Amino acid sequence: MLDLDTAVKQTIYGVIAETTKAPTSAEIARALNRTVEEVEAAFQRLCQKRLLVLKPESRSAILMAPPFSGTETPFLVRVGEKSYYANCVWDALGVAAALHRDADVISSDAQTGEPMSLRVRDGAPLPEACVIHFAVPAAKWWDDIIHT
Amino acid sequence: MLLFRSEETVNRWCEERDVPRRPLVSLERLWKLALAWYENRLTVESRRPAPEEMVRIFAGIGLEGSFWDPKSDEWTSSSQKSQR
Repeated sequence: MLDLDTAVKQTIYGVIAETTKAPTSAEIARALNRTVEEVEAAFQRLCQKRLLVLKPESRSAILMAPPFSGTETPFLVRVGEKSYYANCVWDALGVAAALHRDADVISSDAQTGEPMSLRVRDGAPLPEACVIHFAVPAAKWWDDIIHT
Repeated sequence: MLLFRSEETVNRWCEERDVPRRPLVSLERLWKLALAWYENRLTVESRRPAPEEMVRIFAGIGLEGSFWDPKSDEWTSSSQKSQR
């Protein structure tokens, strides 16, 4: 039997993978037959492990369950008939990696706004003219993960 | 981390915002990072890589130095300015 934190984490990812939407603490509480308070306490522990980021000032709403985003972002990932949002271009590829599926990342050049797409097929991205700029050093990523 | 069509558009982005240009990573390398971080993320055993694991993962694809060290204390506000 899974411990509560693992059960909550698995439920979060299972719901997102299936529905493309991040569940609330109340939805997870119903799914696991636990109280909202228990689930929100698990949310806090998952945040401390950097597996989850909640929306500002919220204890119940998921902003990030990396690589997935709980809100719309400039990184749309199409997998089959489903469309997910990712937190950044790294996470956009991470959606394909996590789901083990072919995917199309729909995004744009951060400077010019030129539409760009990255295609993952059979376990690897197809060649595409692009570069990825890491503006923040690894030691600072979690100082402001939303900015990172 | 942001996506750009070319190094030229990265340079313009940095210049317009007066921010230092930092490392560029290829699509091939970013895919390897995506696999290392997320390939097993939906499994029960999944977890985020620990700092020492992160350093090994980065080094394994040629990303070395303090920029890629999550425990580096080099990146204070003052040192970031000095590296411009």
